[in-house]
Amino acid sequence: MVNKKPFIAMLLAGGQGSRLGALTKHIAKPAVSFGGKYRIIDFALSNCANSHIDTVGVLTQYRPYLLNTYIGTGSSWDLDSHDGGVAILPPYATETGGQWYAGTADAIYQNLDYINLYDPDYVIILSGDHIYRMDYRQMLRTHIENNADLTIAVMTVPWEEAPRLGILAADESGKIYDFEEKPAKPKSNLASMGIYIFSKKVLEDSLIADSRDPDSEHDFGKNIIPTLLGQGKRLFVHRFEGFWKDVGTIPTFHETSMDLLEAEPQFDLMSEDFPTLTQDDSLPPHYVGPKGSVERAFVGNGSIVLGKVEHSIVSNGCTVEEGATVTDSILLPNVTVEKGAKVIRAIVGEGATVKAKATFGSADTAEPIAVVGDDAVVE
Amino acid sequence: MDRVIGLIAANFETKDMGELTEERTVASLPYGGAYRVVDFAISNMVNSGIKTLGLITPYKYRSIIDHVGAGKAWDLDRKNGGLFVLPGSVFGIQSENSHFLLRDIRRNKVYLDRSPSPYILITAANVISHMDYRPLIVEHIKSGADITVVYNTCDRDEPHRLGVNVEDGRVTGFKPNPKKYEDAMLDTFIISRELLMKIMEWYAAVDYLDFFEAIEGDLDKMDVRAYKYDGYARQMFTARDYFEYSMEVLNLDVAAELFSRDRPIATKAAESAPAKYLEGAKVRNSMVTAGSLIEGEVDHSILFRGVHVCKGAKVKNSIIMQHCVIEEGAVVENVILDKSNVVKAGAVIKGTGDATYIMS
Repeated sequence: MVNKKPFIAMLLAGGQGSRLGALTKHIAKPAVSFGGKYRIIDFALSNCANSHIDTVGVLTQYRPYLLNTYIGTGSSWDLDSHDGGVAILPPYATETGGQWYAGTADAIYQNLDYINLYDPDYVIILSGDHIYRMDYRQMLRTHIENNADLTIAVMTVPWEEAPRLGILAADESGKIYDFEEKPAKPKSNLASMGIYIFSKKVLEDSLIADSRDPDSEHDFGKNIIPTLLGQGKRLFVHRFEGFWKDVGTIPTFHETSMDLLEAEPQFDLMSEDFPTLTQDDSLPPHYVGPKGSVERAFVGNGSIVLGKVEHSIVSNGCTVEEGATVTDSILLPNVTVEKGAKVIRAIVGEGATVKAKATFGSADTAEPIAVVGDDAVVE
Repeated sequence: MDRVIGLIAANFETKDMGELTEERTVASLPYGGAYRVVDFAISNMVNSGIKTLGLITPYKYRSIIDHVGAGKAWDLDRKNGGLFVLPGSVFGIQSENSHFLLRDIRRNKVYLDRSPSPYILITAANVISHMDYRPLIVEHIKSGADITVVYNTCDRDEPHRLGVNVEDGRVTGFKPNPKKYEDAMLDTFIISRELLMKIMEWYAAVDYLDFFEAIEGDLDKMDVRAYKYDGYARQMFTARDYFEYSMEVLNLDVAAELFSRDRPIATKAAESAPAKYLEGAKVRNSMVTAGSLIEGEVDHSILFRGVHVCKGAKVKNSIIMQHCVIEEGAVVENVILDKSNVVKAGAVIKGTGDATYIMS
């Protein structure tokens, strides 16, 4: 017998994140390293842990091995409980055959049995793609106070970004009266953050109906939300004020990473009151050599800096050899920059090597950010 | 069934550590920026395939129990085997400076009785090394010896270690106060469980003795062999040992050996962001741990987790334990700064090269 859980989370972690190019060639976007020692999914999982949600289904599909291994029993986020905990939910087969997740809604639909196991009153649907800190309990309070069927977390965005996002219009009470996915001419700059709290019955009914619609793309933004709105259901917004970023493109990944280095960053990795949890690697402290120098940087444990690091992130387990310089760049974990090499305005994939005296990247801001994938060798 | 179970004597106590062990034991001394001294013994045991491990705790057990918990950091939180936290035999001054008190082992006879494993590997918790015990285990079993002890050659006078006379691989005697170039025990040995139980009986009347003190008179009747360890190994007995040996991790070769990625030394997990350096940071020849924030100068020093070196502050030749703050313009030199100290803006704290200042 499984105990009832009033509030559970479903975390969508199946996306490839193709706009991250070389960084997601071998791994799914939520598994991409960020901030020196984290992976993107850590932020959503830590939010769950910090919001005291102890039952999380993680839906994986694209190249899930690293992600599955990484999440493991969930112990890194204290989610390894006997009662609930983390479940990794890849597509599976039934007596009528199996199929890939056709869309975000379909992924949840195919796991309704998992949800029903816990008999929850509310289900929060999350994406494993975003960098933010949020206490989901506050959002649940909004949902309950409004007696809502669906509550969508929203934030105001610059108008020029609106056409790329799901845009909502809500009245003063927060009741949503209009929703458009990626509108050419947005009527509002209130954007969906892709975080939904459903009352469970509404979720189940709408997913079952959607699964029977052959014309549906089985997507929350494109199908489920407009349908519920059309049916006159109670849809409300939960306004979020704080840092939230989709680091889904190379420029935003780079820019968001560089902002972490500010003395007063928009998103403070070092905040201790809402800690970001991650898998611990048992690495020693990092070492800076007699001729090394480090300024305006994050340096992860296990790294050895014998050269110069300026305005960069050196993730866990990297080596910057003597005479090498790393500037305005991100070295993902376990990168080696050999003697005399130069890395400028670049993102270097996990385990990659920049060979001695090589130059990777360009200081010219007209050039795109240089990117090389995991385990690559730059000559 | 596992052939070998482990026993770590983490109850070594001494007055020679001064303030450093006022609230903790030698085994739980912070070491190497992110570790406790006992992490090496535990990790080496686990990395050598030992899955059942007894840890004899000292009188001041709070810090070590807090650190090891259920053994999760070392994968020792098991249904079968795993970590057994064991009491020490005598509290207080009687165990002062003793290495393996017979009583400590006798007190935990039940732990030994219940085990089906034929061999027991025993080590002190104050040894810093990255030793792989497997070759020792293999050699012990192959030789059929009663006891095999680990030793190395001192590279300085070691008044607190136990010297050992080795002839043709056999231990023929012990002597206190070994000098430079003489051989000394590394307080690590393997013995068959049955023999250990017998020794407990034989010497029951004198169980206030140290294990090796007790058997010294019977070395001609027993087959006690010596196993030389050539890797990096240090044993901490005094505050001076602590400072000197701690600073040796700033030697990259030492660090590479101790913190090798295969058979890693594990420790209790602590969540911190990577270390952050702001404009004006100047760090040379130092180890810096996650969660630290550096705005000032750090030279030839070890910074533990969450240390803040403010603008214009200078840290030189020092060990700064976790969550210390060195405020603006303060100077810290030749100092061991214990956890959570704040050095006020503009303050100057200096030890001398010979006498490190300890701020508890």
